[in-house]
Amino acid sequence: MKYFAKALDVERSFTFERRNGSLLVVRDDGESFVVDLSPVGDGGAYSFLVDGRSFDCLLEREQGTTVVQLLGERVVVAIQDERELAAQRVAGHKGGGRRAIEAVMPGVVVDVKVAEGDTVEDGQTLCILEAMKMQNPIPADGRAVVARVAVKPGDVVAGGDLLVELDDAPEAEEGAAS
Amino acid sequence: MSPPLFQRVLIANRGEIALRVIRTAREMGIESVAVYSDADRNALHVRRADHAVRIGGSAPSDSYLRVDAVLAAARESGADCIHPGYGFLSENAGFSEACAEAGITFLGPSADAIRKMGDKVEARRVADDAGVPLVPGLKDDVRDDAVLIEKAAEIGYPVMLKAAAGGGGKGIRIVRAEKDLLAAASMARAEARGAFGDDRVYLEKFVTRPRHVEVQIVADQHGGVTAFGERECSVQRRHQKLVEESPCPALTPELRAAMCEAACRLARAVDYVGAGTVEFLYSEGAFYFLEMNTRLQVEHPITEERFGVDLVREQFRVAAGLPVCEAPEPRGHAIEVRVNAEDPDNFFPSLGRIRRLGVPGGQGVRLDSALFRGLEVTPFYDSMLAKLVVHAEDRDTAIARAIRAIREFRIVGVTTSMPVAMRALDSEEFRSGDYDTGILERIDRRPSDKVLELAALAAAVGKFLATEEIPVAPSAASRPPISAWNLLDRAERLGRGMR
Repeated sequence: MKYFAKALDVERSFTFERRNGSLLVVRDDGESFVVDLSPVGDGGAYSFLVDGRSFDCLLEREQGTTVVQLLGERVVVAIQDERELAAQRVAGHKGGGRRAIEAVMPGVVVDVKVAEGDTVEDGQTLCILEAMKMQNPIPADGRAVVARVAVKPGDVVAGGDLLVELDDAPEAEEGAAS
Repeated sequence: MSPPLFQRVLIANRGEIALRVIRTAREMGIESVAVYSDADRNALHVRRADHAVRIGGSAPSDSYLRVDAVLAAARESGADCIHPGYGFLSENAGFSEACAEAGITFLGPSADAIRKMGDKVEARRVADDAGVPLVPGLKDDVRDDAVLIEKAAEIGYPVMLKAAAGGGGKGIRIVRAEKDLLAAASMARAEARGAFGDDRVYLEKFVTRPRHVEVQIVADQHGGVTAFGERECSVQRRHQKLVEESPCPALTPELRAAMCEAACRLARAVDYVGAGTVEFLYSEGAFYFLEMNTRLQVEHPITEERFGVDLVREQFRVAAGLPVCEAPEPRGHAIEVRVNAEDPDNFFPSLGRIRRLGVPGGQGVRLDSALFRGLEVTPFYDSMLAKLVVHAEDRDTAIARAIRAIREFRIVGVTTSMPVAMRALDSEEFRSGDYDTGILERIDRRPSDKVLELAALAAAVGKFLATEEIPVAPSAASRPPISAWNLLDRAERLGRGMR
């Protein structure tokens, strides 16, 4: 079975083979590696040997992604096997549509920059969330229409709380109907 | 052994700085009293201190910022001195005054010195009088829009608007053109009012390619002031320091001497007593006074490592009336990396429980932190988890050592800013020594291809081992050993099924 990994713009697929007690990985570009990933304790730490090169690493496995820490870096890798990829293809691509912009952290809403019905551009600030003494602008994730504003200045929000709902903006430039 | 200078110190702070003070106090035979909020009941500073007193709820305004509660704790515990640490009440003149009234020694300057230096407008006036160079700008807050526009044009764009009562980067606005000036002024005022309850802002020239360089001083009660060299703090994002080094690679010996001399003059001008830091902007061979921080700074350990002094010990000594020590000959190069609980890409705070901790060690590595496995990182306090400090014989070795130590440092449970610091340290710009406060915006944030390829491979191997089919064994005798991976994944599947 094939495994598909995506780390930023690096996309790879891998196949595995057990041979004489060691694990061989073949990458889609034809490179192959003898690997040994050995858990150290139970906190997600591993000793990772790749063709005898040693890396001390941490893996945090979540649904669909693995957060990898090695060489002082932290990389979020999207990871799927063949079955999962097939299942996802059947489910079809969801696209944009109505979506929730949630608080990525707990904090206090100090300003709301948009109102319902506003058309916003990608990256435009929707509201400002203050946490740990820092003011953090919360941007739109694409060009969209503000469907609902769920917070007002002064609101205390927990991580994951709904801030704003966005809907796809119409393609054609139209005057705002009121 | 001579008797200790004080009996018992109350530390009006938390986290690594509380621990820092407890350590020196213990070495000096001074008992320590920790104060804590509800969120900090199990914090390391509480556990390491000799005494601990609860002072209120988790929000700083319910505990660490309460002058009455801190003083009550000091009286209750019989403390004869108070160390304010940094942040919280450390630069609160009223607190210094209240300590004096209660007959408890405040390990810091007088209320008068705190007031003069805490008000940026007043501080500039004092500095100017003491012959400390200033950035061209206005000494007073200007409310008249027309005058503000005229003065900004005189100074020349870009200009900067700063909160008079500001600090930590709050209330600073850079204005590049006249059309943006008034809007920026009203935003700066609003932010200053919200953060400090004081909406005065002042205008000054925005210096090109600025570096943030600061001088550490300690002053005693007899007019003695010692400068312990400088620290270079230009690796900042949103005006929050991330990496500091000492010495500053840009300074000539002449400039360094002039800067230290200016810092000492300023300290004398306000009859300063205790540890303090005079911050300068350095730009193209000139330096200008920024502000004076009337407390111990977060980044003080790099000075300690180079000079072989204990600045907290000096604070105790000068507070007890002893003369400040002479500055020893500095040695080598020191770097501090602040480890913040935040997303390395967008710098959002990252909250959670520390599930795993592996700390760096080895020669020339010092870790000042209050981290422990099980620590809950809450939204109530600053996101700084630890200060990784390295010292080496020269700058190149110090950089290599810092990167080496970052790679050893493992924290699971929250994400940290360490990868950003590492890439800054590893950048050509930082290595050259010729950098400025814009460095973090310019460095390449993308991990190398080598790292991305390795991460992809590691993730795939992890996934493979977790989902590998477990062969159905015909008999127990020939059953192959089941790996921990298989068991883990089976447990996960069972867990999912039960939900």
